[in-house]
Amino acid sequence: MSMLQIRNLNKSYGNVKVLKDISLSVEKGDVAAILGPSGSGKTTLLRCMNFLEKADSGSMVFDGTEYDLGHIKKNQIAQIRKKTAFVFQNYNLFANKTALGNVTLGLTSARKMPKEEAREKGLVLLDKVGLKDLAGSFPVQLSGGQQQRVAIARALATDPEIIYFDEPTSALDPELIGEVLEVMKALAKEGMTMLVVTHEMNFAEHVSNKIIFMSDGIILEENSSREFFEHPREERTREFIRRIRRDS
Amino acid sequence: MTERIWGILTEGFGKILLASIQVTIPLTIIGISLAMIIAMIMAMIQYAKIPILSQIARLYIWIFRGTPLLVQLFLAYYGLPKVGIVMDAFPCAIMVFALNEGAYCSETMRSAFEAVPPGQLEAGYCVGMSYFQIMWHVVIPQALRTAFPPLSNSLISMLKDTSLVAEITVADMFMAAQKIVGRTYEPMWLYAEVALVYLMFSTILTLLQRRVEKRLSKYTMKNAAVQEALPGEAAR
Repeated sequence: MSMLQIRNLNKSYGNVKVLKDISLSVEKGDVAAILGPSGSGKTTLLRCMNFLEKADSGSMVFDGTEYDLGHIKKNQIAQIRKKTAFVFQNYNLFANKTALGNVTLGLTSARKMPKEEAREKGLVLLDKVGLKDLAGSFPVQLSGGQQQRVAIARALATDPEIIYFDEPTSALDPELIGEVLEVMKALAKEGMTMLVVTHEMNFAEHVSNKIIFMSDGIILEENSSREFFEHPREERTREFIRRIRRDS
Repeated sequence: MTERIWGILTEGFGKILLASIQVTIPLTIIGISLAMIIAMIMAMIQYAKIPILSQIARLYIWIFRGTPLLVQLFLAYYGLPKVGIVMDAFPCAIMVFALNEGAYCSETMRSAFEAVPPGQLEAGYCVGMSYFQIMWHVVIPQALRTAFPPLSNSLISMLKDTSLVAEITVADMFMAAQKIVGRTYEPMWLYAEVALVYLMFSTILTLLQRRVEKRLSKYTMKNAAVQEALPGEAAR
């Protein structure tokens, strides 16, 4: 059974339907890339899945439990968020906390982990993203790439079953993208389940095993990464791939 | 300077200082503390957009920022007894200052809360924190940092505004000076003297403000020469 399933998710802003009957499933260990032109609803979908936006209707099955997205309760959101993590385009690090403080705050405040234990875990995670030496730096003292790696360490701190990435490299200078992608690649290799909204075709083609292609609020094609790039089923998808191949 | 003036100024200095210890300083400290409590509550109500309470907060701020402090003092001390609310002059002054200053500080705090990027709230939710945990660990510390300079301004103007309480019979520094002027007819020297004492207090506050600001700015300084020691490391 899938680890995470979305069924018939709908979301409108006023009269504009931004997500139309979205259904998808993610298996444990999947690295799924959500692709598509801007304005197709990728980010909104991801935000609805972690309740940063409220979906109008639809359901979610997470670890065998079904939730009604249109009438989700606070304690259900808390229950789901315990198993998920989110990495933002703009990092959204806590500006008043050091790199280490950013990683440990969720542990010490929300999960009541003892400070010393959290600190040790935090340092291990910062080491993992190559930033142990900068554990005492504040976000403003770090480059964008370093900030995003801290954000990834923070996401890992709560031992999530899945991590959502919302365009994690889009705000970065080109020369800083690589260091963040390296960390993500390493996570994928370890078997972390990841759902990644991205414009990095290289990552989508070579790291992710699954592609979800969106356009105008619907999922146009859900396919294995290899099939998607080699034998796309839909005309729009073929066009999209031709365009990015030409650009790069 | 004649010996007589020197004598008056010496006596004046003692009485002004005594009045500052008895009235001006406690009034300022209690006033700003209560004002900050009011301000935090009003700002949090508005930040969280709690219906009805937000409107009440706005109404309160509108009234207390929109009317003169001196009029508020008169209304509270001379007006309220007519409807059966009688207060001693000193607690009455504290109440008016807390409410008046609270209205200004509410606006300062509200804008400081709103200056914290909302993405940090979202990030807090995503690591499982509750609204109040995020407020306590993330939003309030940053908002206080942002609000600190304007709040210091408010404190300094409040210190000076306490001179108005002489008008409702509270024996503050200014009234101490007035009393001696009444006896000696030396307004020039004595009012200059009391002005200097106010200046001395404001200077102390300004110096304090600079020191605290420096300490608070550790996470806003891009090229901090010294990295923050890891928590716990310093103790080793």
